[in-house]
Amino acid sequence: MSNEQSRRDFLKLGGTALAMGASGLAAAATTAPGAAKNQAAAVSTAIKADLPKAKGPRLVVVGAGTSGLTIAKYAKRYYPTFDVVLVEKRDMYASCFSSNLWYAGLVDLEFLADHSFLDAAVNNKYIYFNATVTGLDRTSRKLVTNKGEIDYDYLVLAPGIDYDYGKIGVTDAAAVAALHQTYPGGFTQSTEHVTIRRKVREFEGGVFLQSVPSGNYRCLPAPYERACMIASVIKKNKLKGKVLILDANPEITIKAQGFHAAFDELYKGIIEWRASSPIIGVDVEKKQVSTDVETISFDDAAIYPNVRGAILIEQLGLMAPSSHSNQKEAHIDTRFNNFIGDERVYVTGDSRNQPYSKSANTSNTEGHTIARVLAARAQGKEPEWVAPQTICYSMVNADPMEAISVDAGYDYDAKTDLITGFSKTTKVFNDRSTARAQATLEWARGIYRDIFNA
Amino acid sequence: MDRRQFVGICAASAAALSTHSWHALAAGVQEFPAVKLVDAQGVPLKAATLATHQAYLFNYPFRAVPCFLINLGKPSAKAQLLSGESGSYEWPGGAGAQHNLVSYIAICTHQMSYPNKATSVIRYAGDGSELAEKPGMIVCCAHGSVFDPAAGAVKVSGPAEQPLIPVRLEVDPLDDSISATGVAANELIERFFQAYKVDFIAEYGPGGYRQPVEASARTVLLDQFSKTVTNC
Repeated sequence: MSNEQSRRDFLKLGGTALAMGASGLAAAATTAPGAAKNQAAAVSTAIKADLPKAKGPRLVVVGAGTSGLTIAKYAKRYYPTFDVVLVEKRDMYASCFSSNLWYAGLVDLEFLADHSFLDAAVNNKYIYFNATVTGLDRTSRKLVTNKGEIDYDYLVLAPGIDYDYGKIGVTDAAAVAALHQTYPGGFTQSTEHVTIRRKVREFEGGVFLQSVPSGNYRCLPAPYERACMIASVIKKNKLKGKVLILDANPEITIKAQGFHAAFDELYKGIIEWRASSPIIGVDVEKKQVSTDVETISFDDAAIYPNVRGAILIEQLGLMAPSSHSNQKEAHIDTRFNNFIGDERVYVTGDSRNQPYSKSANTSNTEGHTIARVLAARAQGKEPEWVAPQTICYSMVNADPMEAISVDAGYDYDAKTDLITGFSKTTKVFNDRSTARAQATLEWARGIYRDIFNA
Repeated sequence: MDRRQFVGICAASAAALSTHSWHALAAGVQEFPAVKLVDAQGVPLKAATLATHQAYLFNYPFRAVPCFLINLGKPSAKAQLLSGESGSYEWPGGAGAQHNLVSYIAICTHQMSYPNKATSVIRYAGDGSELAEKPGMIVCCAHGSVFDPAAGAVKVSGPAEQPLIPVRLEVDPLDDSISATGVAANELIERFFQAYKVDFIAEYGPGGYRQPVEASARTVLLDQFSKTVTNC
C-alpha cells in the first residue's frame, strides 16, 4: 500500500514538474510576461558559447557517456558535413561499465578512466565542449549551458539516469543526501565507485548489503555481479562475513541460472540472496533497512535505489507522460528516438523510454543506429532502423576469473509501435568459464576503442 | 595514380604466376612483397597438410598485424566483388588446387579485437560454435560478430558492419608452399596501429610494429599463438 501511495505522489509530482518544465521553456523562448523572474533573467544575460562558426549543420550531443560518444563519432563518420559539438559536464572520464571488476582488483582504475575526451574529439573530428546544460529552446533551436548558448540544427541528449530514492521509501532530502553519500548505489557518478571500492577494501566482516531495485534499472546483472566480486574478496581475506542481496524482484533478473550456480558453488555461506524483498525505508544512522516483513541490520552497504530518466530530461520538458514511462524517461519515437513532434531533438542512452536493457552495449549499438538516422535525416533521406543489441558479460569468479554472458536482441511490433521484449535469437551463456572472462575484459576494451579511438 | 600502378602490378604478377589464386582483375588490392608461410621450425607449410578445425595465425604485411590462414576443407564460394570501409574490392575465392585456402586479417572490423599472445576472443570455429550455430564460421566473442570465411568473410550476424579484410594467397603448384602476396586496400591497419600504439611500442619498440614482414612468416595454430582462446 505504501508503494501505491508513493507512486501516486510521484505521478502528481511528475505532473507538476512537467507543467513547470513547459512554462520554463516558454520563458526561455519568449521571456513572456508572467514567466518566472529567474528564468527571464537567464535570457537577458545570455551569451553565445565560445565555439567556432559551424561549417555544416551543427549537431550538438549532450553527454559523453557510451551513447553520446558513439553518436558524436559515428554521425560525423556517416555524414562528414555535420559540424559536431559534444557537450559534457565532466572533465574526466571514468566508465560505469566494468567498475565492478575494480572492486575485486581484476582491473585497475586506468582500465576505467585512462580515456581522454580530448583524444576522442581529435580522433573523430568533433569539438569537446566542457559545459553543463541548463536550458533548451526548441523553437529557436538553442541549447543553454553554463558557458553560453549553442545554436543547433540537430540535438541529441544522452544524460543517462538519476536515482529515484522515493521508490525505496526515502523521500526527505536530508535522508536522501545522507543515504547517497554514505551508501551510494554505484551506478551514476564515478565518485560512488571510489567509495564502494574503499568499502570493499576496508570490510572486516559482518553483513555487506547489496540491494537490487525493481523496474528497468541500469545494468540488470550488475548488482549480482558486484555481490560475486565482493564475496570473492571476503573469501580471499577469509573474513567472517557475507554479502546479503536484498532483491526487489522475485527472481534474479537476468542470467539467473549462471548466478545461482555461482552463489551455490563458489560462495556458499558468503552470498545470501533474498528474493521479493523490496526496500521500503533506510535508516542511515542505525545502519538498517526495512522491507515489508522485517528490519535488517548491516555493517556496510551499497544501496541501489530505483532509477529514472535523468532529471535534465524533465527540466527540459522532454519527459514522457506516465502512460509512456513509469520511470520519468523521455517521450520519444520508439525506433528513431526523436522527441515526439520534433525531428531535430533526440534522446538516447539510458534516458530513453524503450524497455531496452540499460547497458553500455545497448547504448553503443543504439548509438550507431541513431547516428545513421541523423545522417539520413540531415540529407533528407528516410532513416532505417536496426534493433540495438545487448551483449553483456558478468564476472562471477575472481580467482580464477570466470564469467557468464547474454547476447540479446529486441523485437519491434509495428502494429502497436512497441518494443515487445528480447528477441527469439537471444542467447544466454550460463556456464561460467575463464575464456568468457577474457571476453569480458575485451568486451569493455572494444567499447572504449569504439568511443575514444578513430 | 598509385592505385592504377597497384592494379597493373597485380595483373602482371597474377598472369605471370598463373596459380590457382587471386584473379587478374583484383580491384582494390594493396601489393606487399610476397612472404612464405613457414612452421615454427622455419619449414614451409604445405597446403595439403593443413588442419581444418582451427585457423593458423601469421603476421603480415607488418609485424604487428595478425592474419588467419584457414583450410576450409572444401572449395570456397566463387570470387566476388565485395564492399568494405575503403571501397569495393574483389575477393578472389579460395587459393590452392581445391580453392580451399583463405586468409583474412584477424582484426575484427567491429571494435578491433585481435589475437595477441595472451588471449584471442576471435577465432575460426571449424567444428562449430554456440554463437554461430553452424560449423566453419569466424566468431568474435567480444560482441558477437560472425563472419563466413568461405564467402569473403562477410558478416553473417552481429554488430560488425564490414567484412574481415582478405589477404591474397598464392599456392606454388610445384612444391605446394603457400605465400601471402597482398591485402585488400584498407584503413583498418592504420586505425589498429593507433588504437594499440602504446602496447605495440612496448612489444616491438618504437616503429617496430610497422616494419614489413620479410621473406617468411612463422605460422602456427591459433591455440599455439594465444594462450587463451575464447570459446563462444
